[in-house]
Amino acid sequence: MTNPGQRWVLVSAGVLLVTWVLFPVYWALIASFTPEAHLFAAPSLLPPACILDHYRALFSERAFWVPIRNSLIVAGTTTLLCVPLGTLCAYAIARLHFRGQGALLGVILATTMFPQISLVSPLYLLLRALRLINTYPGVILPYLTFAMPLTVWLLVGFLRQLPRELEEAAMVDGASRLRTVWEIVLPLALPGIATTAILTFVYCWNEFLFALTFTLGPERHTVPVALALFRGQYQVPWGQILAGAMVATAPLFLIVLFLQRRIVQGLTAGAVEK
Amino acid sequence: MSRNTEESLARSEARLAWLLVLPTLAILLSIALFPLLWTVWESLHLHDLRMPWRGRPFIGLANYAEALTDTRFWQAMGHTAAFTLVSVTVELGLGLALALVLHHRYRGRGLVRAAVLVPWAMPTVVAALVWRLMFESPVGIVNAVLTDLGVMREPLVWFTHPLAAWVPVILADVWKTTPFVAILLLAGLQTIDPTLYEAARIDGAGPWQQFCHITLPLLRPAFLVALIFRTLDAWRVFDLIYVLTGGGPGTATEPIALYAFGVMFSHLRFGFGAALSVLIFLVSFALALLYIRALGREGRGVA
Amino acid sequence: MLLLCTARIHPVFLLMLLLTACHSPSQDIVLTFSSSAVGAEAEVLQRQLARFMAAHQGIQVIQRVTPDAADQRRQLYVQWLNARAGEPDILQLDIIWTPEFAAAGWLLPLDSFAPPREAFFPMTIAANQWAGQLYALPWFVDVGMLYWRTDLLAGPPRTFDELMQLVTRARTDAALPFGFIWQGARYEGLVTVFLEYLGGFGGQIMDDRGRIVVDSPAAVRALTAMRDAIYRDGAVPPSVLTWQEEQVRFAFQNGQAVCMRNWPYAYRLLQDSAASLVAGKFSVALMPATADGSPTATLGGSQLAINAHTDHPQAAYQLIDYLTRPEQLVERARALGVYPPRPALYDGSLLAGVFPVPPDQVRHIIERAVPRPVTPVYAELSHILQIALHRALTRQQDPTAALADAARAMCALLERVDLSPQAGP
Repeated sequence: MTNPGQRWVLVSAGVLLVTWVLFPVYWALIASFTPEAHLFAAPSLLPPACILDHYRALFSERAFWVPIRNSLIVAGTTTLLCVPLGTLCAYAIARLHFRGQGALLGVILATTMFPQISLVSPLYLLLRALRLINTYPGVILPYLTFAMPLTVWLLVGFLRQLPRELEEAAMVDGASRLRTVWEIVLPLALPGIATTAILTFVYCWNEFLFALTFTLGPERHTVPVALALFRGQYQVPWGQILAGAMVATAPLFLIVLFLQRRIVQGLTAGAVEK
Repeated sequence: MSRNTEESLARSEARLAWLLVLPTLAILLSIALFPLLWTVWESLHLHDLRMPWRGRPFIGLANYAEALTDTRFWQAMGHTAAFTLVSVTVELGLGLALALVLHHRYRGRGLVRAAVLVPWAMPTVVAALVWRLMFESPVGIVNAVLTDLGVMREPLVWFTHPLAAWVPVILADVWKTTPFVAILLLAGLQTIDPTLYEAARIDGAGPWQQFCHITLPLLRPAFLVALIFRTLDAWRVFDLIYVLTGGGPGTATEPIALYAFGVMFSHLRFGFGAALSVLIFLVSFALALLYIRALGREGRGVA
Repeated sequence: MLLLCTARIHPVFLLMLLLTACHSPSQDIVLTFSSSAVGAEAEVLQRQLARFMAAHQGIQVIQRVTPDAADQRRQLYVQWLNARAGEPDILQLDIIWTPEFAAAGWLLPLDSFAPPREAFFPMTIAANQWAGQLYALPWFVDVGMLYWRTDLLAGPPRTFDELMQLVTRARTDAALPFGFIWQGARYEGLVTVFLEYLGGFGGQIMDDRGRIVVDSPAAVRALTAMRDAIYRDGAVPPSVLTWQEEQVRFAFQNGQAVCMRNWPYAYRLLQDSAASLVAGKFSVALMPATADGSPTATLGGSQLAINAHTDHPQAAYQLIDYLTRPEQLVERARALGVYPPRPALYDGSLLAGVFPVPPDQVRHIIERAVPRPVTPVYAELSHILQIALHRALTRQQDPTAALADAARAMCALLERVDLSPQAGP
């Protein structure tokens, strides 16, 4: 299909792009193993000395497992809340007919686009009145504002791609609607639902503004907040920050590596099959 | 089936639909719409949490009047608009190139695609930290490379220069979000019928002509979707700049969301902050409406 | 996989949450005390707290470490107090925060405990009052000073011109990367440096009648001198515009600079030859001045205050009272080199040899130090000034325009909030 000249251009473009994309990550990784003294001496592509000090300090001095735990709880719970409810809602929008369907989807899409800063002050006053500042529910509730519409949006995309025939056959057989959903649609939609769960989890794991505003201390800070507020005694402890950055990103790297096809599907399901 | 049963079936289907939608809708109304209305209400009041004795009097549009005569507000709006324009333009251009590269079949394409997803998956805070370190002066790798290559005679202190400070900001944003654009565009590319290219080739059209007359026009809807997502996302930029420059030097890189955040959570001026929030929201809303109309004109559906 | 894991972890942590939420049956009063404490400072504090707990059976003190960067700590406190959290019970405050926090109703007035206000420097007491009541007791006093290298200079520079000349020459001779360094990031620290330049040029932020005069010709000259030191004289590296006090100290400690402006805490740390390359090679002086002004030190320091939402006001005050007693303050001064807020301690030989200059001179410097405006909107005033200063120093605006903008914004702010003292709670 492509001639050798074209292929050459493509390959070199690919190499260039991959370098551009991966270089910062590679460099940060190297730096996280480099002793602080060498970090600023002369940047090099290979670590002048490889040490695990920063990682050790991260967990012994900084108790970095606390923000990791917080992030897991917050992102996990949000995902667990959103996916079942979102599936029901998405099924209704994708498959059933009712007035206001289109408008509803529009509203949901619009909510994903809300500037978070517009919600942050009333949510703060609300959570403060409920005494939920610096608690897990105090972060999870605000997270629903973007995670809920996101799951619905993604799942509508997935569900619309499923063949209708099986469902219709089951309906003709006299199965009730909900039983059809449970027995036919759900198993078929499982890959899509899993992908949605992963994407929702990733978005929650990475969120910053709400977590920054609604938590007060290291005992409730999530990973991004903990990293952003890292300060050292003398200087910015870059080695530890980068080690933390790598730890925070490692699970995401694994997800990307093993589930890239899924993720690509998920990112495009809602958008392209509009 | 009689008309009647059909109608009652439709009615029961609608009832079921609303039942299924209800939990999600209730949550969204209570934690997104209600707070939004609250913000509007709040914006009409003087509400300074540092000065409880002043109470919370209704002051009409005074907060808006203050915002609209506030130079820092307009500068922040300008910064945000410029940031959005520049970064989204670059991202769409680069994203298209990336999509084209990913579209062709060659060995290792899966690996390239996985690599491309890495920045997308990285937390924005982490990406910002990495880019800040690369631009640290005098010892970051960017300064080292540029002085070694002879581009600069001495290291530049990027974060104290009002324009240079934008460089890491834009680069980091482009780096982080181009993959997302590329993936949307790639999906668009994959929906184009390959026989169209076949036919064009038979008609003697070169690759460039094929690109201009088939790829670009058919990619328009996917382009628009990417444009909407990216513009609205860039408009609310916060984490990236909070970590990279903190809005400095002075306020030269301060986006509107960061300004509003400071007003609300550093100075606790919730009334004025709410007015800023409403203005930010209105711009987002206007942009979204504009795009949705454009998308409507494109005809329904991309696929 | 990951999701499954979180699903399994979650209930366990919920359980832990419940367990920690239930109060364990104990008679002890538990006080949380939030302060910045690293290295030697932490050790002294630990000792003092242990003694306090031994002397007060039934009171347990838990320390909560906060960020060292002042602006970050303020942001955190504002978040805590505004959320009406009952913890921490005792807060270490910067001298400029007390009026704001007091006016917001976040601090407990101390008057009912009959604190010995006369025993402290009057200026530090004034800074901790709002609407006639005292809200915090001074813990230590900070004054800005010039640290200079005795191995590179014959004596401390007396004027800003002299400072530039000496620093430039010494830097070239010794091939040092930096000449004169100060905390120039866009934060409160920048204002304190500016205040010292301002005093040296004979200017003020507010005059005696409370009017904003930060755009006076003297102020413009001061800011111009700061800017020119970077770009014209090349004595100050542009990097300082991203530095806070610790980065400044670190550079000086590594022998990279001829002079630095910093707080007293740096003295003891710089003398530690294990970590410092300049141990025994530096001394301390007042900041330079011009003929129009006088050498100026900005008044800073830490105070101890009680959270208005505390469950144990009495115990909290006992701790504050304990930590601000002469014995404890002397111990701190000896171990850390920080200045106690009780003038009486500077008499006699109690603190002899503890500071780089004799105690009576330290006392004199403190008594003449320049306070920052005492107002509940100080943070906002300072924020306006920080932006203007940083804009001028990064050459986005010339000093005249930057300070004119700042003065206008500060006036508008004072007018808007309508802060007559009677308006207080």
